[in-house]
Amino acid sequence: MQGEVTVLVKDLVKRFPGVLALDHVRFELRKGEIHALLGENGAGKTTFVKILYGVYVPDSGEIYINGKRVIFTSPIDAIRHGISLVSQIPQLIGSLTISENIILGLEKFGMMASIRKVENYIREESEEVGIKVDPNTEVWKLSYTQKQLVELLRAVMLGAKVLMLDEAITFLPIREKRKFYKFMRKFASQGGSVILITHKIPEALEVADRISVLRRGRYVGTVETRTASIDDVRKMMFGERSAQITYERLPTSTPDEKVVLDVKDLWVMGDYGAFSVKGVKLQVRAGEVLGIAGVAGNGQLELVQAIMGLRKVSKGRIAILANGDLKDVTNKGTGKVRSLGTGYIPDEPLKFGVSMENNIEENLAMLPAIAKGIIKWRQVRGLANRLINEFKVVTPSSKTPVKLLSGGNIMKVLVARELSIAKKLLVAYNPTRALDEVTAVMVRKIIKEKVLKERLAVLLVSEDLDEIFQVSDTIAVMNSGRIVKTFPAEKAEREQVEKLMVM
Amino acid sequence: MRLIVTKRVKPLKFGGIIIPFLSIVVGIFLATIALYGLAHVPPLLVYSAIGQSLISPQMLQTFVMLTILGVALIIPFNAAVWNIGAEGQIIWGMIMSAFIGLTVAVRYIIVSPSDLPKYTNMPGMFVLPTPTVSGAYAVEALTMNPGTAICLMLIVAGIAGAVWALIAGLMRAYLDIDEVATTLIMNYIAYYAYNYIVYGPLQGITISTSGFGLSNALHPALRFSRISTATTATWEGVALMIAIFAIAWFVLRQTTFGLRLRILGSNPQVLRAAGINVRKYIVLALTISGAIAGLVGTILFAGNLYQLIKIKTITTPPTHNIGYTAILVSWLSMLDIRGVPIAAYIVASLFQAGINLQSSLGGVSGGSAMISSGALTYVLIGFVLTTFTVLRVFAEYSIKVVREGR
Repeated sequence: MQGEVTVLVKDLVKRFPGVLALDHVRFELRKGEIHALLGENGAGKTTFVKILYGVYVPDSGEIYINGKRVIFTSPIDAIRHGISLVSQIPQLIGSLTISENIILGLEKFGMMASIRKVENYIREESEEVGIKVDPNTEVWKLSYTQKQLVELLRAVMLGAKVLMLDEAITFLPIREKRKFYKFMRKFASQGGSVILITHKIPEALEVADRISVLRRGRYVGTVETRTASIDDVRKMMFGERSAQITYERLPTSTPDEKVVLDVKDLWVMGDYGAFSVKGVKLQVRAGEVLGIAGVAGNGQLELVQAIMGLRKVSKGRIAILANGDLKDVTNKGTGKVRSLGTGYIPDEPLKFGVSMENNIEENLAMLPAIAKGIIKWRQVRGLANRLINEFKVVTPSSKTPVKLLSGGNIMKVLVARELSIAKKLLVAYNPTRALDEVTAVMVRKIIKEKVLKERLAVLLVSEDLDEIFQVSDTIAVMNSGRIVKTFPAEKAEREQVEKLMVM
Repeated sequence: MRLIVTKRVKPLKFGGIIIPFLSIVVGIFLATIALYGLAHVPPLLVYSAIGQSLISPQMLQTFVMLTILGVALIIPFNAAVWNIGAEGQIIWGMIMSAFIGLTVAVRYIIVSPSDLPKYTNMPGMFVLPTPTVSGAYAVEALTMNPGTAICLMLIVAGIAGAVWALIAGLMRAYLDIDEVATTLIMNYIAYYAYNYIVYGPLQGITISTSGFGLSNALHPALRFSRISTATTATWEGVALMIAIFAIAWFVLRQTTFGLRLRILGSNPQVLRAAGINVRKYIVLALTISGAIAGLVGTILFAGNLYQLIKIKTITTPPTHNIGYTAILVSWLSMLDIRGVPIAAYIVASLFQAGINLQSSLGGVSGGSAMISSGALTYVLIGFVLTTFTVLRVFAEYSIKVVREGR
């Protein structure tokens, strides 16, 4: 497909304090193509699209749109040129409804737009995109997946000719994802172009026409998907380190008799006033990874929040091991759960996991498990540097504000911190989301090592079945608020698990 | 050609010092132009008034109070909890200091005029200048060690300020009622409560005070000691300022409490997930702030006023609205505690400049003498702060020129 060039980028350079984020990057996007942009964490993918979207202004370099040089200093400039960006974090205004959110950016309806008109328009359009949304719902009621779908819808309705998706669909459930793939194809065949940022190579190979790879801020190359193999792309992304990528099962741990987390007949309300968790019973023993597989939105999030004391339990009991006995922590608050040696990797890590304005040291010292009363900064710095080295966090120093790190590196800080404080129990929700393959495998190995050596109990909720199968010792499938089946991981079959998930 | 304004990823180096400094220079310059244009105030007079006030010992007391209040406000402001109620908290500090100083720490001996000479020179006795309604004289006699009494005044004033702020804190933390509105409204409640008290429980017993909205005067042994005769600043005030500043700095920078307060300002959710009781922090931020403001009440009462005087109009409370001015100080410091004394110094000087200017204008041509010192002060401060707001953009954004073409 030799279409005309829609976006041409030459010699793009962007420096952040202590980091050269982009080092003379070039890029070419043709009309009617889906172009995947791949790279490991901190490779500069997000910086790159943020520049194209006018969020950052490059230090040097040139951007051409349809052959004309442009300079974007704000997203408004980019949107006027038909460029839209959907990022990993939904940017919608929570207190407004879906249609109100969408109307905000829609110039075509003018200042006096009637909500009714927009609603009808949304209904029509959303069917086309393959998304089912009620335009009158307030955004705060939506799940992450639904919010992302609204974001995508909004970008399309802004009249985008170039749609940039920065890990925007990475965490959508596979069904929604597939529908959106189909929509992207149609969008491209009508003359639109898509830049798809992902760290999932199979996804890129499945939908993209071409793949460009960045590594540590440098442009590595572009390949046609028809001729490229997964190994080729991995080599481009990671170089020699691609050999470390494996999806083989990590060694199985034999759990102890000791139960660390005991959940009995748990009922938890969702945001809509209906029960999201309906009578869940589960046990995690010391030295065991219990993996909960399921399609997003089947109550996993509410289950995890209830265990962590962040959501009210309506009925049932949660108990955590303390001094040899199971201690009831139902509705006792997060502080109690944490004080018993629990690490937590939350959903939406940038909101619930780290404080973006503060530096790495402060993000560590914030936790009662790391610092109490007067902070011993030297000790915290030591811990910070140890974690930075162990997890290969790319950062100028331990005093760098977290907001200056790349998404993947922020996630590394969070995972490293929570693993370091998890003395007995780790509750993790999609712990390797946003991590590239090499780092994800590394994190899983570290978790498993702690389970094997330190007899940590891990409750792992993940929408990524590869991850579930790689680390779990026991697999439970969650569907519609219930645990429908529990298997020893060695005996679990992927097909059967998949079937139970969508049953 | 096109101007490109981009947000700096890293703030301008030394921006925290350069920006406030530049805004003072530019702001004062603009203010003199405005004053000349509007009221024909000679620019040189303005400069000399400001120059004098920068080194004037008279501004010291304002500086001390503004520094303490700036620290008091910066604590909740860092947590994005907005205490607009320093005024009310100071007022309660004053009331409670007066309560201790005028009732608990002293007892009144009523003596007939003929017995009066016996008491006038008796150590530890303070004769109120005018007679009581019955014609007898009242003498204040200490009931406790003055040091103990002063400590008690401070403690009770701190508690009073804390409780006043606590009310707003509880409403914010547990009922989600905006603390900006409640703290502000409670200032006025405090003003009226104060007026009620100077006509009621704490009204004076002499003919010149009783029923005139005045309390008795504070026993001289309970008054703070002035640093020199040239200033109203007191040793006790300065000592409190240094202690409060040092403790607050330590707490904000070196303790988990301070760290979490700062995080609370940008992301309360992350604290919840970390297992921290966010409500408790909101309440504590306001309570601590109120307690410190309450102490300023004592400094004002025992250091300057020695007497509660009724509020004639709601715009002229005995605090001279210093609780509001302190909000400017905390913003001028860019919410960094190290900037508070600098900001307080600047604002205090400008205050003094307004007063100096007015007195020197008295000697100059008629019309301009009509300008009150308050108006002059606010013109100066207004210009400086406006300039500051504009200049701050440069600290956060960089501007460059780029050529655009085909």
